[in-house]
Amino acid sequence: MKNPVSILSFGISCPGGTSAEALEDFSKWPVESVPEAGGCRLHEVARINLSAEPVNRWRMKPRLRRASPLSHHLIEAIAQTLEARPDIDPARVGVVGAFFFGCLEYSVRFYKGLSTDGRRFASPILFPETVVNTPLSHVVAELGIGGPVYSQVGDTSCWVSALRTACLWIESGDIDHVIVAGAEEFEPHLLAAFHSLRWFTADHPFRIAEGAGAVLIGKKTPDAIADITRIADGYTFRTRDQARIAGVECLGEFDIKAPVVDTATSWASQTAASLLSNRQLVSLSQGLRHDGFTASSVWNTILAAQQPHYPRLVVPHWGLSQNIAAVEISRAANI
Amino acid sequence: MPEDVPPRQTIALPRGCWCGSTSYNLAFPPAVSGGYFVGVNSHKDVVITGWGCVSPLGGDALTTWEALMRGESARGEITCIPVEGCRVTQGAEAHLPELSGVSKKEVSRLSRASRLAIPAARQAMAHAGILDDNGRSVFSRLELSISTTACGMERGEAFMRDICSGNTRHLASKISRYPAHQQIGDLQQHLGFSGPSMIVSNACASGANAIGHAADLLRAGFADIVLAGGYEALCELVFCGFDSLQALDPDLCKPFDLHRRGLMLGEGAAFLVMETSAHANHRGAKIKGRLAGYGHTTDTHHITQPDPTGAPLEGAIHRALQQAGLKPSEIGYLNAHGTATVFNDGAEAAAFARVFAEDLATVRISSTKAAIGHTLGAAGSLEAVFALECLRTGDIPPQINTTNPIPELAPCLSRPGDKLTKPAVLSVNLGFGGSNAALVFTAA
Repeated sequence: MKNPVSILSFGISCPGGTSAEALEDFSKWPVESVPEAGGCRLHEVARINLSAEPVNRWRMKPRLRRASPLSHHLIEAIAQTLEARPDIDPARVGVVGAFFFGCLEYSVRFYKGLSTDGRRFASPILFPETVVNTPLSHVVAELGIGGPVYSQVGDTSCWVSALRTACLWIESGDIDHVIVAGAEEFEPHLLAAFHSLRWFTADHPFRIAEGAGAVLIGKKTPDAIADITRIADGYTFRTRDQARIAGVECLGEFDIKAPVVDTATSWASQTAASLLSNRQLVSLSQGLRHDGFTASSVWNTILAAQQPHYPRLVVPHWGLSQNIAAVEISRAANI
Repeated sequence: MPEDVPPRQTIALPRGCWCGSTSYNLAFPPAVSGGYFVGVNSHKDVVITGWGCVSPLGGDALTTWEALMRGESARGEITCIPVEGCRVTQGAEAHLPELSGVSKKEVSRLSRASRLAIPAARQAMAHAGILDDNGRSVFSRLELSISTTACGMERGEAFMRDICSGNTRHLASKISRYPAHQQIGDLQQHLGFSGPSMIVSNACASGANAIGHAADLLRAGFADIVLAGGYEALCELVFCGFDSLQALDPDLCKPFDLHRRGLMLGEGAAFLVMETSAHANHRGAKIKGRLAGYGHTTDTHHITQPDPTGAPLEGAIHRALQQAGLKPSEIGYLNAHGTATVFNDGAEAAAFARVFAEDLATVRISSTKAAIGHTLGAAGSLEAVFALECLRTGDIPPQINTTNPIPELAPCLSRPGDKLTKPAVLSVNLGFGGSNAALVFTAA
């Protein structure tokens, strides 16, 4: 990024609710014990009840009646960003969505269907809902968003890549405002996948959450919630040892005096703790941290943007599969 | 600095006209009413210094191009994935190239997607002269702009099958290579670089989006050189999905034919090395083509069907032409999306008729999907390679399989022996979810 951008509004759909306060205390999030797919091992998971208010307001919308839970999480978060800024015309807003797993629930249902019923009986209704960009397509159609739309995929850190795309569009003068969203939905096969990858261990508890977050950004403006002043992305790794090096390089891009938000989960917790021993580590929420992957990336950014006591905060995005990125949030101009 | 990009233009826009069939105001010509001209305000020239591909017609760009020009089709029985029980069991399957210098054990770990992507990217980098003697990138950090829709899906499917059958052995090795960022990791590991990556998944327009995004990065000064492209491997979930939609033609794929019945799925990968002209000139690289313009729009008409008026596609084309500073009459060849579904080809024909108007008969149009199949997330990148080969050789790929063309396009579907007589080539793609993208290429 060449110039800072401002966060103008945000939206949240998480198991704890739809307010920023919900992100401050994970212990208040409802959890349920869910068995791994194909097994009996139970894991605690934080899920969103789509039939409860206010997120149930989308259930009867024609395009969303049969849409995936991911679409519902996403539209709630994005709608909030627009509702908070009625002065901004949605028809002139772009959207970049970041997804780690995409429409997992419908993909699993579709694949199970063709496996059990036969390929000829695969569901033509479910298949389009398995496509990665379908949720964002529903959202822009329903909310009347008229700017460019990209769906990006990657690990947790791909939200930073999406943010970079949004900054590029703003920098190029193509568009004034872009919503950068991250969203994930839960499906029990995730538990089996992460268990097989040894992300659940006694040393580092790991609790999966679902939901979405979105921030509306634009050119730097004095009435913003906060500014994004620096992005470091593209610190890649294949092994956990390489991840340590990538983390050092990534965080080395930022002023050593800038406090760093504690965002690490699973195996990255230990890596982060050792990497950040010489820096001021700030925890912005209470209770066992839940990982909503790209959604968490946005939630952490929103939390950092709302801290009145810190003029600057570095928010690391530990993409636990391939890439580490970080974003500097500044409130200096706004205090 | 080359100055062949038009100067910045400020355009007043009517409300809500940028995307969406319901809000598109046809009273305004799209070139004027369209909202966001990506990179129009930039003065950086985006050049292409290398390209490579793996397709069902061949393991490299030249072999593929020569087969395409001979009018060959790669249609055959699908053997790499289980398709028994589907209505259609034919498609265009690629032969996986050997990966020199990679152990058998490592090859066995790679997803089919990576086995397509790595050789294609290696060709592009070699063509651009950015590989050292050991086949590693000379740039330790190299930005990636990539597209895919199914990632390493066959690994995810294997994981699912094992879970369902109670086989819990080696689950990690299956699921770990499924996500898209793992193919990025494979590319970086095997070609020796790291750096930021953007993986766009805008369905079948993704490949063009990845290339357009790379151009945006270069024009805005976010990068000096980008490896851009896409990959897609055949997989059971997607094949059965299109089969369930009855979107696969049980016979030959016949784009723009009155009797078209659907698409043929394919697989492949293609990559371009894109640079600013200043960067290419500084390192003494030969410039082999230019990406002159990029436009993209979103159509909110329907999840799986394009707006039948073709207006959103028309908007994307106009935007790409505007950025290129070219008139429609300067397009000599149009590589159409041409999936051979009833809705896609009809919408495209409507858009082409309006964009080119009286010049339509002077444009040569073909859909290469009749030859290599619809490669989804790789389609835009593979077709970009064909556009560049067209500019390099002056030859135009013939439209095969189409014997009863739809009247609107009958005069302009390309025939064997057609030559490029104008300075620019246009490549367009449409995708599920309403993605539309257009790329304009010119010669070096």
